[in-house]
Amino acid sequence: MLQIQGLKKRYGNFQVLDGLDMAVPEGSLYGFVGPNGAGKTTTIKIIVGLLKADEGIIKFSEQVADHGNWQEHVGYVPDFFGVYDNLKVTEYMEFFAACYDMEGLKARKRIMALLEQMGLEDKKDFYVDGLSKGIQQRLCLARALIHDPEVLILDEPTAGLDPRTRFEFKEILKELKDQGKTIVISSHILSELAELCTDVGIIDQGKMALTGSIDEILSQVNSSNPIVITLLGEGRELALNILKSHPYVHTITVKGQEIIVRFTGDKQDEAVLLQQLVDAGILITSFTREQGSLESLFMQITGKEEERTVLKYENESGL
Amino acid sequence: MKMNPVYKREMMVSARSLRMSLIITVFNSILAVVALLNMYSNVVQVRITADVQYGSFLDLYEFVACVEFIMLMFIMPAITSGTISGERERQTLDLMLTTKMKSWEIVTGKLAAAFVTMFLVVISSFPVIAMVFVYGGITWGNVAQMMACYVVSALFAGSLGICCSSLFKRSTVATVAAYAVLALTVAGTFAVNMFSYSMARMDLNTAAYVMGNMGGVTVNSGGFLYTLLVNPAVTFLVILQKNAPASTTGILQSYGSREPGLVMNHWVLVSMAVQLALSALFFLIAVKTVRKKGIGRNA
Repeated sequence: MLQIQGLKKRYGNFQVLDGLDMAVPEGSLYGFVGPNGAGKTTTIKIIVGLLKADEGIIKFSEQVADHGNWQEHVGYVPDFFGVYDNLKVTEYMEFFAACYDMEGLKARKRIMALLEQMGLEDKKDFYVDGLSKGIQQRLCLARALIHDPEVLILDEPTAGLDPRTRFEFKEILKELKDQGKTIVISSHILSELAELCTDVGIIDQGKMALTGSIDEILSQVNSSNPIVITLLGEGRELALNILKSHPYVHTITVKGQEIIVRFTGDKQDEAVLLQQLVDAGILITSFTREQGSLESLFMQITGKEEERTVLKYENESGL
Repeated sequence: MKMNPVYKREMMVSARSLRMSLIITVFNSILAVVALLNMYSNVVQVRITADVQYGSFLDLYEFVACVEFIMLMFIMPAITSGTISGERERQTLDLMLTTKMKSWEIVTGKLAAAFVTMFLVVISSFPVIAMVFVYGGITWGNVAQMMACYVVSALFAGSLGICCSSLFKRSTVATVAAYAVLALTVAGTFAVNMFSYSMARMDLNTAAYVMGNMGGVTVNSGGFLYTLLVNPAVTFLVILQKNAPASTTGILQSYGSREPGLVMNHWVLVSMAVQLALSALFFLIAVKTVRKKGIGRNA
């Protein structure tokens, strides 16, 4: 549906985008994640036509953005809400409908349908500058959908909204996805993206660091998470000696009876390690890999590579 | 035919605002009071001297025409210089630019809305101008010529305002820039001609020659006179001079006498053409820069 190849953008001496590749599958809800300054908003502004890329190609449904009329395919919800004074909700919508050459009965029907979908039918005669932020953001979403675009691009749309409004907004997005819209959403609230998105792309320093379906990514996250070993009684010294000598162990953190191990081996290697510990006579009450989260992966990708630390103590001394 | 959405929205919002009704009321009240005082003074003069000075009725026409022109030149940049930059400040420009609207449609809608608003004020003053027709001395042709001058001047000042609005990020900076360029165009061209004419008159050789020949040689501001072609105030004064020759001496002759030529003979037409060309240039700059972020904006 939306394909980006080798996107480059430079502001002065600062290379914001450095050959960004991105593929958003049709009908997906694509989470676009990255730290501040990674190039998310720049990418989005290039996609919607507000900025020109120095290099690269953007394709929508067989059309190249540089040549096609991509505005017809894209709806844009920025992280702000532009307010006009003295303009009512329906007039605001009519104005943007007219910007897409939609007028008369067709436009009015579409506006009413969208206001109903967003739960704003009772606000149609309100002035837009008097609406709350949550309502304004829903109106902004309705505005972006006025021309029935195939792709909807949202730049941190839930920033600054209260939890209930965020939940409602999320539900609307799910509904839109079910209607077949392809949605790209950039956000810092990673936990929300994890349960909302079907696909995720993590951008760092102007490049796509990781991309794929949410299931694939979460399974990667799980394998990169630490193993927590809980011991019973004495035997920690012996357990630590075994762990230190293991080639797949990168870091060890001791917290009381718990040993937290960053272990890069697969399931087979995990089983072998457990077997070694049990064979050494160490009493183990649990041996589990921590559940992964998008946040941990995000931190891992966008942070600096962790140095190999064999031992780290917390609330303990002398080992 | 599809109405420009920006124009439609601007007019809708403007119609809801109290500001426009207030401007029209205050402006026409002032004009009406001045007109009535003018008529009263004429009547009193007739009672005292038994001499009817018909020419003095034309003062009213000049006054109204001058007030309207000054208002156009002052208000048009004020209205237009905040249009594009105001959209940037409200962050609504980005939303418009992601629609099918073209840059030229946005600029045209903004300019047309300001133009129509301004002309609503001008046309509302017609009843006061109509009082002049009671005494005669001004023809419909004169009024039409003056209206043409207003249209061109409003387009010139409006295009300049919208150009600055598109170029600069902040409305205040855009407004200051628009007035600065307008002041340079109006006062600057006068100043250049005055300076040039003074220098020519101070030329010792010429002065001696002139004294010896009792004005046999003409002294003028030279080619600088043609800079006045860009000055809407000069066009206005030339028209006013033709309409009411008794009250205004030739503005073009203020900088030395000249041989008649194509430009001198058709000054009004040529100057209007030059100002329209400049308006088109300002408009094009505005269209080209509307998608840029504006001077003074961080990347």
